[in-house]
Amino acid sequence: MPTDDRRTPLPTSRRGGHVAEAGLLVVILLLGTALTLASDPVTVGGRTANNFLRLDNLVPNVATTMSWMAIMALGATLVIVSAGIDISVGSVFGLSALATAAALQHLPPDASGLVSVPLAAVVAVGTGLLCGLVNGALVVGLRMHPFIVTLGTLSIFRGIGLVAVESKTLPTLGRELPASFTEGFVGLRWEVAGTFVQPVPMLLMLGMVALAWVYLTRTVGGREIYAVGGNEEAARFAGLRVGRVKLRVYALAGAAAGVAGMISAGFYQSANTATGQGYELTVIAAAVVGGASLTGGRGTALGAMLGALVIKLIENGIDILREVDLGLFTLTVSKEYQKIIVGLAIVVAVAVDRLSEHLRARRALRG
Amino acid sequence: MIRVEGVSKRFGGIAALGDVTLEVPEGACHALMGENGAGKSTLGKVVAGIHRPDAGRVLVGGVERRFRDPADARAAGVAMVHQELATCPDLSVAENLLLGRLPTRGPFLDRRAMEASARELLAAVGVDLDVRQPMRALSTAQEQLVQIAAAVGTGARVLLLDEPTSSLSDAESERLFALMERLRADGVTMLYVSHRIPEVLRLCDRVHVLRDGELVGSLDRAEADEASLVRLMIGRELVPTTPRHLTSPPGDVLLEVRGLSSPEGFRDVDLEVRAGEVLGLAGLVGAGRSALLRALMGHDREARGALRVGGTRVPVGRPRASLAAGLGLVPEDRKREGLVLDLGVGANQTLGDLARHRRGPFVDRAAERAHAAAALARVEVKAASLDTPVGTLSGGNQQKVVLSRWLERSCRVLLVDEPTRGVDVGAKEAIHALLDGLACGGAAVLLVSSELPEVLGLSTRVAVMREGRIVATLPRAEATAERVLQAMAGVGVAVEASAD
Repeated sequence: MPTDDRRTPLPTSRRGGHVAEAGLLVVILLLGTALTLASDPVTVGGRTANNFLRLDNLVPNVATTMSWMAIMALGATLVIVSAGIDISVGSVFGLSALATAAALQHLPPDASGLVSVPLAAVVAVGTGLLCGLVNGALVVGLRMHPFIVTLGTLSIFRGIGLVAVESKTLPTLGRELPASFTEGFVGLRWEVAGTFVQPVPMLLMLGMVALAWVYLTRTVGGREIYAVGGNEEAARFAGLRVGRVKLRVYALAGAAAGVAGMISAGFYQSANTATGQGYELTVIAAAVVGGASLTGGRGTALGAMLGALVIKLIENGIDILREVDLGLFTLTVSKEYQKIIVGLAIVVAVAVDRLSEHLRARRALRG
Repeated sequence: MIRVEGVSKRFGGIAALGDVTLEVPEGACHALMGENGAGKSTLGKVVAGIHRPDAGRVLVGGVERRFRDPADARAAGVAMVHQELATCPDLSVAENLLLGRLPTRGPFLDRRAMEASARELLAAVGVDLDVRQPMRALSTAQEQLVQIAAAVGTGARVLLLDEPTSSLSDAESERLFALMERLRADGVTMLYVSHRIPEVLRLCDRVHVLRDGELVGSLDRAEADEASLVRLMIGRELVPTTPRHLTSPPGDVLLEVRGLSSPEGFRDVDLEVRAGEVLGLAGLVGAGRSALLRALMGHDREARGALRVGGTRVPVGRPRASLAAGLGLVPEDRKREGLVLDLGVGANQTLGDLARHRRGPFVDRAAERAHAAAALARVEVKAASLDTPVGTLSGGNQQKVVLSRWLERSCRVLLVDEPTRGVDVGAKEAIHALLDGLACGGAAVLLVSSELPEVLGLSTRVAVMREGRIVATLPRAEATAERVLQAMAGVGVAVEASAD
């Protein structure tokens, strides 16, 4: 190889200035400000607080209920970055929650947390992982389009729950899940500034986001997902084991849905055969609002969580804002509009993302 | 007649065109030359209504035109044949040809009329194809001809051709040139964008040269020659060199192929390439050259036969085995098979080779980036930073990134497929030097190229493939353009006899 001093290496500095999530953060701040300004003060337990901007709204109604969505959105993001899609996620979530409840109801109600929590984790994550492996094996082995495969397994995994759980709901009558898992772990209450909150689902979500962030940006496995999603042919020609990468992506997405199912079972202290029905749409929407590109190659862990947060904030806003005084007239927002507004927000968010991407591409283009 | 006056175009902060003025008279064929990024395509796109100029104006037939979009330009008789082909791969050839003006009978598509007029359009440009087959079944060359037929068929009087021969073999290019001659005789005005000087000198009345977005010279055919055009394009002299690897005798056989066959398009291929040798593989597009390289790399499970690298047997059809044996492939279509366009230059350089920068499951990013930066500097890739998406680079720089990947993996046998397609003069010279340097370092290089001068100039020996078979292998001294062309076309018994 010729070497020569006049050749200067390329700058190795990190990507300057452009943070993919910056736009989302602005949207969230604007949304938060608008909701705070539009909310009336309420008096709870002798103290007055803003109806939106108070701990006992933000934690239980936003952070907790978004946590399992966000965790599933992380898995969905992995799949979408690899240029795949997993619409069976709601069924995997439901089946994992059922499996968790089925396993734990056989423990005595006063079982130690050292038994109940690891058992729940192993059963839930194991169920999810198994479902994900099935998805991945079908996609890779049969070379079928992932939409078709997971459309099938969406129904199959839901059906397994229906067949296996005759009582429709777990735990069955007269049984209960060990308190060490429910109230002692997932539903643990902390007193913060005079109000009680249940922070564990949120903390688990943040931990999962951190893990996924590290995985996607810092590991060889993560980089391989971007390569396969960005250009499968090029990845194959460069010597990557494309099938293995895909299998891993679906397995991880399944495992993430398993974790989410475990949290749901613990938080609600039960699971039923309808748990998670229709979740796939919200989960995929969160990933896409968070910047994951359905054509593959783009998406981040932080984006998945922020995407879930945007959707949850809109839902929460509609819940707490019954009437908004706009000066000239009063706008009445009823809960029935929730789906329409969330749908619009998804379309707008993705349109804005495409527009900014287009502008960026034009700036980078020449010749 | 087309005339651009003082046209400027900026993309963000970058000036793609600066105050360009040129004119192509009615019925003339002018060439537009320049390195990648010089603004040739941008100028063509301004004329064709794809980009709007920031300043200046475009006149067609003496009238100022402000095209809103390509359809608008089409309606005014201005059509562009693109470098990147834009077709619907799952629609039939006929449907693609007549897209936007499909004939109907009542509410229904009139299939018979559609196929008849598609055949007519193709016949007008001298192409004979089954118009019912899907577009994806066509070779790049055929697709290109279909695209030209579509443009001419819509009554285009001004035709902008953006590097149409970059993916054609010589014989196919000849067909295109004959077609261009005919169009010129019909009074069609043409602006021909190309890197290839011999073609330009042969076809065009006048050559305009762009460098860094500015017109640096316009020469009539009579006053233009290869040296003057290259000097204008790259701004310095180009010194022709003989490959250095020819000065030392080849070493041991590194790549040995015996009786390799595949339904993908080749049969009973025997060949060997020695260390320090470049074996050029000539042939028409579709002769099976690319399919052969792919099979050697293990990407063809149907392939059967024996493959040895450095004397060790390598199982056929297993990419990891080929990789482990020290084979590397620079694929034909770098955008489709070579690069992940959204990923940065650095990540593309290390793609598939992250194992060496691995710490547990993690990428040692500092080491990866330092290594990628050094590797890319060695092949002189020009990019703003390691994180610049590789898709925004010029063709030459993209190809260097792919090459750099295999150079750093220090593979023993490099298979290169059309390494300088769509690459400008300066980068082409650099890529040739890199391949030469690789052979000098003791690697075996198997070079597929549809540019005969490239094959003849760089190779130690030249093998010719026709219809899936190797029909001749000629040492450098005997590999003249004439003999190779004869073997490619299947004429000349003498060549057949000398095949080994």
